[in-house]
Order: sequence, then C-alpha cells, then structure tokens
Amino acid sequence: MTKPVETSTQDRNSQLLAEFKTTTGDVRVEDPKMRMDNVDVHYGDNQAIYGVDLDLGKNEVLAMIGPSGCGKSTFLRCMNRMNDTVDSCRVSGTFSLEGQDIYAPDQDVVLLRARIGMVFQKPNPFPKSIYDNVAYGPRIHGLASSKDELDHIVETSLKRASIWNEVKDRLDAPGTGLSGGQQQRLCIARTIAVSPEIILMDEPCSALDPIATASIEELIDELRQNFTIAIVTHSMQQAARVSQRTAYFHLGRLIELGDTNTIFTNPSHELTENYITGRFG
Amino acid sequence: MDNLNLDQHISHRYNEELEDLRSRVLNMGGLVEQQVSSGLKALLELDSELGEAVFNSDFEINALEVEIDEACTEILARRQPAASDLRLVMTVIKAISDLERIGDEAEKFGKVAMRLSGTGSRPTYFSELRHLGEHVKSVLRDTLDAFARMDAEAALLTASRDDAIDREYNSLSRLLISHMMEDPREIKSVLEVFWCARALERIGDHANNICEYVVYLVKGKDIRHTSQQRKLESKRDQQ
Repeated sequence: MTKPVETSTQDRNSQLLAEFKTTTGDVRVEDPKMRMDNVDVHYGDNQAIYGVDLDLGKNEVLAMIGPSGCGKSTFLRCMNRMNDTVDSCRVSGTFSLEGQDIYAPDQDVVLLRARIGMVFQKPNPFPKSIYDNVAYGPRIHGLASSKDELDHIVETSLKRASIWNEVKDRLDAPGTGLSGGQQQRLCIARTIAVSPEIILMDEPCSALDPIATASIEELIDELRQNFTIAIVTHSMQQAARVSQRTAYFHLGRLIELGDTNTIFTNPSHELTENYITGRFG
Repeated sequence: MDNLNLDQHISHRYNEELEDLRSRVLNMGGLVEQQVSSGLKALLELDSELGEAVFNSDFEINALEVEIDEACTEILARRQPAASDLRLVMTVIKAISDLERIGDEAEKFGKVAMRLSGTGSRPTYFSELRHLGEHVKSVLRDTLDAFARMDAEAALLTASRDDAIDREYNSLSRLLISHMMEDPREIKSVLEVFWCARALERIGDHANNICEYVVYLVKGKDIRHTSQQRKLESKRDQQ
C-alpha cells in the first residue's frame, strides 16, 4: 500500500530532475555581498554541485534547504573555503566577495574566514574560558591594541549574541560548562568578535531544544542589521521563520530561489512544492 | 502549478486528514445545494411543509461549518501546511463561510414559503424568479464541481457568469419596483419576492467567491476584487 505512492512521487522527481535546466527564480540581486558563478564541486569522481549561480544580498538571511545529500552544506562550506580542508574536494566557478575572488591564489584564507565566519551544527566552544573563547579571534588578528579594547570587543560580542547577562559574572568559567543553547550563542559571539561581513550557519539549531532554538532565531533576526547571513537548515519552518529568501537544492542543483513568503505559499517548481509539502523527503 | 497531488504525502495520516477535509466540504456543498433546491421548490410551489423542513435543516449546515473550521485549525496547528496544502486549508476556511451563508439564504426561501402559502394566492413574477433560481442553481452546481475537480479554468468560467446573474436580478428588481409603485396594495407580497430575488443574487455572489478561492487554491493567484478583464488576463497568463 505504501510503496506505490512513494514510487510515483520518486519517479516524478527523477523525471523533473532529468528535465532540469536552470534555476527557477531570480538568482541575482543588485549589489550583492557575494556573487557565486557556475559553481561545480566534486568529491573525487563524484559531483556534488552542478553549475550553481547564486547571489547573497547585503544584510539578508538566505536559507538553503533541501533533502539530505542535496549539497547545501557542501555549497555553504565553499563560501569560506572550508572545503579546502577536504583533500578530495575540488571547487570550480567563482566566488566574489564584493568583487574579490576568494579563491584567488594570493587570498589569505585565515583572514577570509574572519570576514566570512561559520557557526556549526554542534556547538564547539574552545576548551578555554568564556572570555578567551571570544577574545581568541581578535587576539590572533590583532584587532585590539589594549586590554580595555579587548574587554570591550568581548563584551560587545557577548551582548550582540544575547548572552552577556548570563555570563558577565563568570567570564573566567569554561565555555564548555554552558548549556547547549548558551554554547551556541558563545560560538556566535566568537564569530562576530572578529567583525565578519558574512556569517555562515550550518544547521545551528539542530542540537538545541525549542527554547534555545527560538532564542537563536531571534538572535539571527537581530544580527541581520549588521551582518549578512546564509543558513543551512533541515527545518523548513525555521527557514520560513528566519529568512528573507530561500534556496531549494536537490541532488546538487539549485532548483529554485525566491522570496521566502512565495516559496512557502506558492513555489514555482514542482520539486520545491514536493519537498516543502512533505511529499518527498 | 496545475498538478496538485494532495494525496501524495509521505505521511498517510496527513493524506487522510486533507482528503477528509475535502470530502467534508463537498458534503456540506451537497447539503447546501439541496437546501437551495428544496427552498426554491417550497417557495415556487407555496409548499409550507417543505418550507418548514428547509427552515429546520439549516442547523446541519451550521454545525458542519463549525466542525470543518475546527478540523482546519487542527491541521494548521499540527501540520504547519505549506504551499498547496496551506492554500487548501485557507480555501476551505473561506469556502465554508460562504457555503453557510448560502444555507442561510436558502433558509429564507423556506420561511417565505411558509408565510406566502397561507395567503392562498400566487404572487406575481414567480416565473422570473424561477428562471433566476435555475440560473443560480446551475452556477452553484458548477462552482462545487470546479472545487471537487480543483479545476481553475472551470472556476474562472463559472465566476464570469455572475455578471449575468446580477443583470437578471437588476432587471427583476426594476419590474418588482414598478409593480409596487403601480399597485401599493401588492407591496407586502411583492416585497417577499424581492427579498427572495435578492437572496438568489447573494447566493450567486457567494458562489463567485468560492470560484475565486478555487483559482487561488490551484494557481496560487488571488483574483478577488479584480475586474472581469483582469481575471481573463490572469487566465491567459497561466497558460
């Protein structure tokens, strides 16, 4: 009884994928923060991303959704060259951060990752104090010329990450001693302490309870004033809540990109519709 | 997107919930159609007994509205439907309100039938009323059919017939008003016919609304409060 229904949607999806030529919707924005052109990614002989064009707009939250294995995390990691750490990974195409090619041979990758920070699925505070977690980045990048300046950066970052009040009296306590939600906010504070321009978030709330998730989502909304954010999420409701534009990936192709309201009320592509209505997971 | 596969969710229970919602609406639609038909019959044949039956049956339609509303709320809360599923729930919420109002209009026919049957005489302009009634019944039937088949083209076509109903109603009202001016003794009974004609015109409007919801459901395009011209343009855009 179950099989025939699933097979027909899968058959239909395969057919739609075979017919896929170009992304539905506007991939371009005016004056983008980051422009990505004709991106292909291979892991060894396996192609993970196929010819993706995508612009990231200034001060927007772009959500990237799609079923497991669709390449959204792979694509996200290309945006600050985290895939450089994966031996078998080959990235082609261009990634321009306000006109600068981030894959240029003379690009300082450490500096790049300060400009384009990343928050991961599992909160990963350093085994250091709360203070040192946040101060680490500014220290190595020489962003503070005095202790007072460093204190100021740490306080501002923790405030912006909405965690200052909870930790201000125990900045020497280990970062790993915090709850999951607090750890994630600490990681966000750590990311913003080096004044990034873009924050990449790879399923930042997957390991958190609903209350911690809600506070991170609230934080994302506040952070948008000062940063540009790209977020990969498995939760469609989260994508619907936090983002202005949503990109749907399917087996390495960018199928559709559009205004979040439209994607969730009236998507144009059948593959997008099938995914977000739970006809295909 | 024309291909609304409302029954293809991974969750079978979700499939059943949405399918159940649709059938409940169609059931309510069927009941409403029957009420309109019986109400008009009672009125035109001055059948007091039938009129009373229609009057007494309206509560069933009201109960269905409440029940279906609740089912919609539960689906919204539990399933957070998106895209076409969301549009289906929104369409149902709106459509049942219009269906309930149609039921109320049909109830009026029953009440007038009971009132007029006592007088013994057949009011004037009943043949015009009958004609308008047939027109409206046909539009209502086609509306519910368009919803059942989720056919936006049929819905647009049916919606375009509302102007003709309005014209026929306006023409009948002019006749009735002239008659009342010519013979004020007839005002009381002619007014009864007038209110029934008005009720039929209102039924036409509610059916028109439902057609617009069907277009929204299938095409994701809200054509409410747009002119006939723009509706036709929207039909061409979608092709």
